[in-house]
Amino acid sequence: MKKHTGVGGWVLTVLTVALAILFLLPLLWSLAVSLKHEGEGVSNVLAWFLPPYTLENYPRVLLASGVPTWFVNSLIVAVLSTVLTLVISPMAAYAIAKIKFRGATVFYVYFILGLMIPVEAMVVPLFLTANKLDLINTFAGLILPNVAVSMNFIIMVSFMRRIPDELIEAATIDGAGYWRVYGHIILPLSKTVLVTVGIFSFTASWNNYLWPLLATMSGDMFTLPIGIPTFAGTYTIDYVMPMTANMVASLPMIVLFVIFERYIVKGVSLTGIKG
Amino acid sequence: MNPKRRHRGLGTALLFMAPFGLLYTVFTIWPVFQGVYVSFYKWGLMGKQSFVGLANYTRAFHDKYFWGALGNTTKFVVITVPLLIVTAIVLALLANRATKIRKFARSAFYIPSVLSVSVISYIAIYLGSPRMGFINELLHDIGLIPPGDEPQWIIGKNLAWVTLALTTVWWTVGFSMLLYLAALQEIPDEVYEAAEVDGASKVRQLFSITLPLLSRTHWLVFLLQVIASFKVFGQVRLITNGGPGVSTRPLVQYVYDTGFGKDNLGYASAMSYALFIILLVFSLLQLRVQNRGDAS
Repeated sequence: MKKHTGVGGWVLTVLTVALAILFLLPLLWSLAVSLKHEGEGVSNVLAWFLPPYTLENYPRVLLASGVPTWFVNSLIVAVLSTVLTLVISPMAAYAIAKIKFRGATVFYVYFILGLMIPVEAMVVPLFLTANKLDLINTFAGLILPNVAVSMNFIIMVSFMRRIPDELIEAATIDGAGYWRVYGHIILPLSKTVLVTVGIFSFTASWNNYLWPLLATMSGDMFTLPIGIPTFAGTYTIDYVMPMTANMVASLPMIVLFVIFERYIVKGVSLTGIKG
Repeated sequence: MNPKRRHRGLGTALLFMAPFGLLYTVFTIWPVFQGVYVSFYKWGLMGKQSFVGLANYTRAFHDKYFWGALGNTTKFVVITVPLLIVTAIVLALLANRATKIRKFARSAFYIPSVLSVSVISYIAIYLGSPRMGFINELLHDIGLIPPGDEPQWIIGKNLAWVTLALTTVWWTVGFSMLLYLAALQEIPDEVYEAAEVDGASKVRQLFSITLPLLSRTHWLVFLLQVIASFKVFGQVRLITNGGPGVSTRPLVQYVYDTGFGKDNLGYASAMSYALFIILLVFSLLQLRVQNRGDAS
């Protein structure tokens, strides 16, 4: 990394700050709007950002609409998808990465095929499959397809392959079986990748739009991404309430991002660089 | 490894793979075959109606809405992919500079990516709404557009595309920026020091050293973005709903409308395979690029 000095350096720094603010501006504006009184007009752009502020919209959105139900649904689906992903993907990854057995390559290739099957091109048969299993408009129907994802598995395989075999052999000589090796060596050493996959799995589920759009039939099963547009649709003039709902849906993600940014940055390079 | 142990390995491995393998087979692999089957039938939400052979495929071939939707998706790819790549490079270069604000810049560029498509779509709709939206208000305030003139960011024939493209770049560029950032940090300092000694200017260094050294990342980002943009659905459905008319409706939305709106799942399945084949080609290329990186 180089130190930048001189006029050119300053210009670039100013440009960086300007772009950073530009990227944050739509969010800051949304936040500002959510803090306005409903029906309050503005005379210029700055007025949006200036006081008076109020928090009255938040309890109204949280208490007197479908938003809390959708929030809880989103949370249930995201948490269970993440937990289930973190239980079953590393198990399969361990088998491929560290257990020696005939046909390991065949299974690996089979599990990689999913990377080439986009949900967007498969919604109709996926819907029919879920329908046949009576999973439409159920939590299981929302959750299980989120868990059957190749990418999480592949990231874990490439990570676990780098765990030295000597560690496993030493434990095996001491009499440890496959389950013990998995629980006492593989899982603890895979903490970073588990956190990373966990965050991606949670985010993907929390923000998923296409599948819940098809898999939910009634308002009481909607997740936030499905509920918010129906909620916003009832406010055609003023957008203070829909913007507040937007913030309610976004704040958990933003907090999560601030806490786990390190893992997210690492995770993106893992998905990108390692296949 | 003796044969007995190897045999035990297989059993244990199957046990470890069973839960994931089962769900993966049912929800990822099986639908591909199910979809082919469905595409040979007239099939509604109530179930199978009649066998039609290849009729759903030939119908797509003569359906101007299918070609229109495929055209719109392609147009979206052609507009957004170069924009996303260039923006990602610029942002990564800026966020990679050794300044006090680099962490802040990186976070600011990435944070829209953690938001849901519904959230960013409604932000775009309200930003762009005539009279009450942020953008037109701003343009009025600084005198760029005269009072009474309200550009139609959502329902204007060309402006709708601008809105969709800019929203998509703002929302998704963070991912590619991080890929570039990771690649930039792998370029050793000595390379630049040597160039410095040879008297190469910063601009020269950028075009002769940095950008060429990122060639693998360029490919990777290009392919990932092409794939992502071909799959476009949510933001278009929510922001323009394919309009005005059907002028921005992408293929995924046409499939969705046909299958679930018009109750024609057979025809929707058949059209899905056009998208599937396109994405398959780019996914295979992507795997090749990634494997090249693993080998080195």
